[in-house]
Amino acid sequence: MARKIGLFVLALAMVGVLCGAALAGDTLADVKKNGVLVAGVKDSLPPFGSVDPNTKEYVGYDIDFVKYIAKKLGVKVEFKPVSSANRMPMLMEGRVDLLACTMTKNPERAKQIDFSYTYFLTGQKFLTKKGTVKSLKDLEGKKIGTAKGSTSEQNVTKAVPSATVLSFDDYPQAVLGVQQGKVIAATTDESILAGQLGKLEKNPATKGKFEIPDLAISEEPYGLGMRKGDTNLVKFVNDTILEMEKNGEAAKIFEKWFGPNSDSPIKRGSFKITADKRGT
Amino acid sequence: MIGGLDFSVVRDNLSYFFIGRYPKGPLGGVGLTLYLAVVSLALSFIGGLILGLLSVSRNRLLRYGSMAAIQTIRGMPLLMVIFWMFFLLPAMLGGGMTASWTIIVALTLFTSAYMSEIVRAGITGIPKGQMEAAISTGLSHGQAMIHIILPQALRNMIPSFVNQFVSMIKDTSLAFIVGVSELTQIATQINNRTMLYPTEIFIFIAVIYFIICFAFTELSRWLERRLAYRKAI
Amino acid sequence: MLSYKFDWAIVTSGKYFDWIVSGFYVTIKLSAVSIALSFMLGLIIAIMRMSHFRPVRWFAHGYLEFFRNTPLLVQIFFWYFGSYKVLPAVANDWLVKQDFEFAAAVIALTIYTSAFIAEDIRSGVRSIPKEQMEAARSSGFSYLRSMQFIILPQAVRLTIPPLINQFLNLMKNSSLAMTIGVAELMYQARQVESYTFKGFEAFSAATLVYVAISFTITGLMTLYDKKVLQPLKGR
Repeated sequence: MARKIGLFVLALAMVGVLCGAALAGDTLADVKKNGVLVAGVKDSLPPFGSVDPNTKEYVGYDIDFVKYIAKKLGVKVEFKPVSSANRMPMLMEGRVDLLACTMTKNPERAKQIDFSYTYFLTGQKFLTKKGTVKSLKDLEGKKIGTAKGSTSEQNVTKAVPSATVLSFDDYPQAVLGVQQGKVIAATTDESILAGQLGKLEKNPATKGKFEIPDLAISEEPYGLGMRKGDTNLVKFVNDTILEMEKNGEAAKIFEKWFGPNSDSPIKRGSFKITADKRGT
Repeated sequence: MIGGLDFSVVRDNLSYFFIGRYPKGPLGGVGLTLYLAVVSLALSFIGGLILGLLSVSRNRLLRYGSMAAIQTIRGMPLLMVIFWMFFLLPAMLGGGMTASWTIIVALTLFTSAYMSEIVRAGITGIPKGQMEAAISTGLSHGQAMIHIILPQALRNMIPSFVNQFVSMIKDTSLAFIVGVSELTQIATQINNRTMLYPTEIFIFIAVIYFIICFAFTELSRWLERRLAYRKAI
Repeated sequence: MLSYKFDWAIVTSGKYFDWIVSGFYVTIKLSAVSIALSFMLGLIIAIMRMSHFRPVRWFAHGYLEFFRNTPLLVQIFFWYFGSYKVLPAVANDWLVKQDFEFAAAVIALTIYTSAFIAEDIRSGVRSIPKEQMEAARSSGFSYLRSMQFIILPQAVRLTIPPLINQFLNLMKNSSLAMTIGVAELMYQARQVESYTFKGFEAFSAATLVYVAISFTITGLMTLYDKKVLQPLKGR
């Protein structure tokens, strides 16, 4: 019996594999035909992607990029919430056309999906209670929180092998862990941590109690994710974001979400969107 | 300590808790929780009936096959079934299915296995003499099942079905893990955004779930008493 | 997708196999600790539920209804993320120094399961004829003593099948602990998936383990029913 079930499951999977192959068509043409671009974004990770409590609309850095691309295409946008763990399957299974969700480009991922040029550059740091962590040594043997299926998870395991890494569904839960003393640090990209710190700074109960020590363990180039072999869409997206850099739109969006007057001020430094090969 | 709790976060997000992004986006929150539960229960009723009938079938292959399937599903955590569906369904159907429907399929598959046991118990609970009597009046086995046995069995099963609905509502909370914005997902979203009120938020949604589930638990008890009373007269 | 190649070796040996095995151990440990505690707590709640002192009975009744009618996942989140505001600071500090993820999962699983176990025990007790209690009382036992020596031992024996069922449920429910970072079987299966993108193999391995545990326990239960319960009933 068990064998029969096994065969049956295998057969199902085979059917699935064949059907899946039919998916990798020309997404750009499909999007134009259907008049809607489906983008996978984060829904509770300001300043990249979150739902505004008042308007109930998606807002953020990633969101603005997607909106510009859709406008250029002349189609509507539909945002679908994704998590770090489910975003790649969501894309590969065709639930979304494009991923704009703080996704670091790396060679393993590039084997599964295609990335655009780097549209955001940051590095992985730690968010801690003030004064508790001065060097990586202070993290040894402690618990560090991060998100499942992220590069942050894999980097920190390498950088501090003796630490216990706790993976949550998303980063804010790891920051909550720091706040409640369950982990000594939350680790992910500085840009995300800056958003979390900004939130903590706004609240009188937590203001001035947290910091992001100057300890970077990696460089994190973010790319927009598309299905493997979707060359037309990749080219269109790349051309669009290069144009955004040229006409100042990219810098404007950065200023809006990360400028000195934003909730999560960080520096853009010398970063510009170029036809780069980072992370591949 | 309860005095230290600040429920203003609940007040500020009340409509988000109940309907999510609706009408600006898809229905979410309590609305979606109920929708998922109702649709999945209706489908599991059908699934449970089919599996239940197969498991009392006189064809050995059908009987053992369906029982093996039922036992395997019952041996798995619901979470596992959900992951499998998320993994297999898009591959099988070409990705045209929304996350909500994937969850509905997973809940249906899982609950059908449990429902089938209720159906089987209901059918075997009807005295054998009835089937024999029905067949002796010239009905076929299938006809006797549909016209004589099932109607009685189903009536006896009503309270168990309502109980399954309660489990179903609780189970929809697992949709959170795959990002379907039902009540639990909405709660974690608000918690992620506000950071400071996890206690208040989780107490609030626990109470909401409790009110819904308790109401149905009571309904099932009332039905059970009524059925017992009807049998007594 | 067409290029998907099955690679069973990743889950049958090496690093990822070790992950799955360690997940299995955590699942067993989590389930074993929680079932032991929920049996004790369930017993206490069941006795309270049958108490003649109304406030105690009401408390137990409220406990049962509330925890049975709330999703376990929400309870897990509450204990892990939300409990710091309702627990005394001392208890909180102590818990944080322990393995808090594990502890929160044990607390949530124990409270949730104990509510079901208490009901099972109560229906077991109710199936013991009333005369036995009366007889015990009239022979000079106090209420608690008669419970302890006469009623409960019989009830517990009758309650074993539903209890084993609860244990099965608990073992399956323990998979929810992955949401707060407890590295049990499901968590590890997902870890393997996100590191290797070999979801089919990772989930198959975890499914196999869960189903194997379930079948073993169900088998033992059938055996118990045949060897112990049926002869008892037949007598």
